[in-house]
Amino acid sequence: MGTQAPGVRIGGLTVVYKTPAGELPAVRDISLTLEPGTITGIVGESGSGKSTLALSLLNAVQPPGRIAAGSVEIDGLGDVVGLAGEELRKARGRHIGYVFQAAQNSLNPLKTVGKQLLDLGRSHGVEDLRGLVREAQELLGRMGLDGARVLDSHQHELSGGMRQRVGIMLALVLNAHLVVLDEPTTALDMITQANILKIVREVHAERGLTTLVITHDIGVVAEVADRLAVMYGGRLVEQGPTREVLGAPQHPYTKGLIKAIPRLVGDIDEARALPGRPPTLATVPKQGCVFRERCALRMDVCDDVDPAPQVDQGERGPRTVACHAVTVKEHA
Amino acid sequence: MITGTGVVKTFKQRGKMLGAREVRALRGVDFAIPKGGAASFIGESGCGKTTLGRIIAGLETYDEGEIEIGGVPMSGLKHKQRQPHFRKIQMIHQDPYSALNPTRTVHQTLHAPLTLRAGQTGRSRAWIEERAAEVLSLVGLDPGTVLSRYPHQLSGGMRQRVVIARALTVDPEMLVADEAVSMIDVSLRLGILALLKDLRERLGVSVLFITHDVATARYIGADGELYVIYRGQVVERGAVDTIIADPVHPYTQSLLSAIPVLHGLEQPGEQPVMPLESLDESQSDAGCLFARRCPFRGERCAEERPLLRITEGAPQEHACFYPERRDVIARPMSEV
Repeated sequence: MGTQAPGVRIGGLTVVYKTPAGELPAVRDISLTLEPGTITGIVGESGSGKSTLALSLLNAVQPPGRIAAGSVEIDGLGDVVGLAGEELRKARGRHIGYVFQAAQNSLNPLKTVGKQLLDLGRSHGVEDLRGLVREAQELLGRMGLDGARVLDSHQHELSGGMRQRVGIMLALVLNAHLVVLDEPTTALDMITQANILKIVREVHAERGLTTLVITHDIGVVAEVADRLAVMYGGRLVEQGPTREVLGAPQHPYTKGLIKAIPRLVGDIDEARALPGRPPTLATVPKQGCVFRERCALRMDVCDDVDPAPQVDQGERGPRTVACHAVTVKEHA
Repeated sequence: MITGTGVVKTFKQRGKMLGAREVRALRGVDFAIPKGGAASFIGESGCGKTTLGRIIAGLETYDEGEIEIGGVPMSGLKHKQRQPHFRKIQMIHQDPYSALNPTRTVHQTLHAPLTLRAGQTGRSRAWIEERAAEVLSLVGLDPGTVLSRYPHQLSGGMRQRVVIARALTVDPEMLVADEAVSMIDVSLRLGILALLKDLRERLGVSVLFITHDVATARYIGADGELYVIYRGQVVERGAVDTIIADPVHPYTQSLLSAIPVLHGLEQPGEQPVMPLESLDESQSDAGCLFARRCPFRGERCAEERPLLRITEGAPQEHACFYPERRDVIARPMSEV
């Protein structure tokens, strides 16, 4: 593989963290498909398990966490959960590019960007290092930066937006076709954010990638993603084509989240915060619906039974929602 | 009433190899925030909005101009004399995780400033306890459950409420909220914004918002003033809703165009404005500061600096030679 956008099939994935209270799931029984060549956005608040899910794509969940069940099938690589050691190390970078949360701070402050690029090349056995530098320069130029100058710079000489672009370059330079961006625009101002999102869209299309964007900001997903998945308390509560989910959200959490965004037009008092607070690893309910504590539509069944995802094959792709209230309404 | 006239601040960086470099953070800013009023400073990172907020809160000095608090000019006063004035202005920082001492319970956090306050006004110990419970209720927390907690036992939203409660212990006249919700979970942000609006209405505390997100600036209330700041200069100033609905400065238009559109729910504006390049503070200071990035620059812009003024056809002040309304903001589908 290496020239085509791979598809990714996550099946029944559960990731647990060891705590004094036993092993608690940060991600519980999640199934999600990334179609080749699409941008998928995962939205969730802190503690929703979105970053843990993203790390699972690299099989990079660190102890005390571990993947307890499920599989992550990536075209051309097989099940990543089964990979280990050298095989796994090679897959990262070559096949899967990862732009870390706060990429601004993930660079080595003591080395120039160019030196770090060469380190990356050597550790992946690249023979044509000159070619690698050329490729990096081209990528940086594509993103509106002076490639030569950036490669000669230390991280403190670059602005937040520039570091983010360096992060994207390092993720793509080994020609990975599956890219994960974890909070790509946090801590950037609006204009820089708009710039980075435009670059993500363009680079995605030009290089033929499969892209996963993880964020807490629904606006970011709305701008770039074809499909949107909403996570809450380690569960996937709703997913579908971005425009459909935003235009007609079904799960009460998705509805609440969209309502909680301050907008530029309309009555500001219509925007409303969700009551309560997001659960943590320790407070997330062990059975029943994870959202029920903050839900206006709570019923008795929500306390005991985990709502199963209901799939609806739409024209623009499947839509899934996991909520008893929604299911009841449909069958009534 | 807190006013500023011609406030200038220049940061000097000493470099051994490259020589000294000056960053002009503020280039003569005027502002006025009436008692019980509200204002919002918006702009990119590095535009000077945080510096101005810190100067207003007394955490930073200024080189030229004047700040007056309740009619008293600050520049002639000694540090000690200034302190009681600046105490009326309390800062709410961006990061509620580092703004609270992790080894102190909420009770201890509130106790210290209240003891000071009680000493000044000759009140009893009982008053301290009463007041601690009162400020917590004001910010929407239950004193019974929160007082004995440490910061790590609270969520981000609750911590920010404790920070606001601590600010209220000294009966401030103004709260300066510097990106106060950017590190808080999305579903809880609105609660904090609504709280600040509520405190303003109920207690008559003025609120100053410093943010890069224009939409949150609306929460200061419809009568609030918006200051759009670029490279240390106010480039547009007026009522919040006027500027959002009818911006005339290309920089304000760029800020508004950059706000993500909720596709499926909203329709983007028809004339979005994208700056030609990114912010570079080392650019020349000649002419209009925004000219190099401005897609609509004319001949005059390179030579002359436009000053903040009112022209025909727009109710707000702006600093642009060629002001023009453009349709930049996204609107709900139902309205289109």
